[in-house]
Amino acid sequence: MAGGGEALGGGGKQKRGKASKRKGKKRVGFRLDMTPLVDITFLLLTFFMLTTSMITPQTMEMNVPPDLEAPVEVRESELLTVRVRQDGAIFYNMGTDAPEAVNLKELHKVIVDQNVNLKNRCIVSLKAEPTVPYGIFITVIDEIHQCEPDIINGLKANGVNERQRKFTVAPMEAKDREEIAGL
Amino acid sequence: MSKIKKKRVGFVLDMTPLVDITFLLLTFFMFTAKFKSESDSEQKYQVKRPKATVDTTKLPEQDLVIIKVGIDTVNRDTAYHISMLNEQDRIKLSQVMIQKEFPGVQPNQNAFVTKDTVWLESIVQEARFINPRAQFAVDADRRIQFVWIERAMNAMRKKRATTFNFVTDKKQ
Repeated sequence: MAGGGEALGGGGKQKRGKASKRKGKKRVGFRLDMTPLVDITFLLLTFFMLTTSMITPQTMEMNVPPDLEAPVEVRESELLTVRVRQDGAIFYNMGTDAPEAVNLKELHKVIVDQNVNLKNRCIVSLKAEPTVPYGIFITVIDEIHQCEPDIINGLKANGVNERQRKFTVAPMEAKDREEIAGL
Repeated sequence: MSKIKKKRVGFVLDMTPLVDITFLLLTFFMFTAKFKSESDSEQKYQVKRPKATVDTTKLPEQDLVIIKVGIDTVNRDTAYHISMLNEQDRIKLSQVMIQKEFPGVQPNQNAFVTKDTVWLESIVQEARFINPRAQFAVDADRRIQFVWIERAMNAMRKKRATTFNFVTDKKQ
């Protein structure tokens, strides 16, 4: 640190004796030693810089239907089921079709295409095996969320301006498990 | 001519701009710093959040019920850690849970740890009574099994907390 303003501060060195002596003297080049101040400031600055974490958690909103006794009836031809197997493999099928293995990019395309073709009537249902790591589940949901802009654009191109989103998470049943077991 | 080498005494550098900038940065970091709350320092598990791209909504700082599902660093065990963010709510929830005889409950408890979905449901219900505006957030480790989330979702659904948030980190 280039400390020590004292050398220049001629005025500061004057002994403060009687008031009469000080009178009339011009205070030239008044200096204050800022070294301790700067030291402490730097110390605090480094402390705060190192302790602050810039990454704040984000949230992903989910809506689940309330637990009503009467299940909602849907047309099977409008139901797009996405299933996630234990090893992270993703399968999709429309209605009662046979499930087909896809990766995330293909899934994106499938969801966009089906939603645009069916013009808002498509229902995406996500089923995940209970042993699937939660991280994979979020990745799939994230991908489904990311389809929205493309779907809206596709719908607009077909003259539909409103988007009604139909997405749900459903439990994996034994029947689902059987269908994707050997694929 | 011999120039007498002058000893450089009292070399002075103008530190004013330096100090200005330093103070500016200091104030900035001081204001943005967020310190760990008591409940955070108590927890013995780490949550590696899943990464997601789309949603950029930040986690609210009050009126929030957090259900944390983490893997214990020592015994690799998983459990629900439910806590309310508002101080007042937390005290009320502790009182209610004492009445309900939650195992090991103490006055002014920060987080309720349970593996039982019945307790989870009951805590969700009480939290909704105490603060009807409270939002729910599920903060889970990305390595845990999905069944934990499914159970938590079902518990919230049963107690009519149909809108909730998954806490994620931003994908880089």
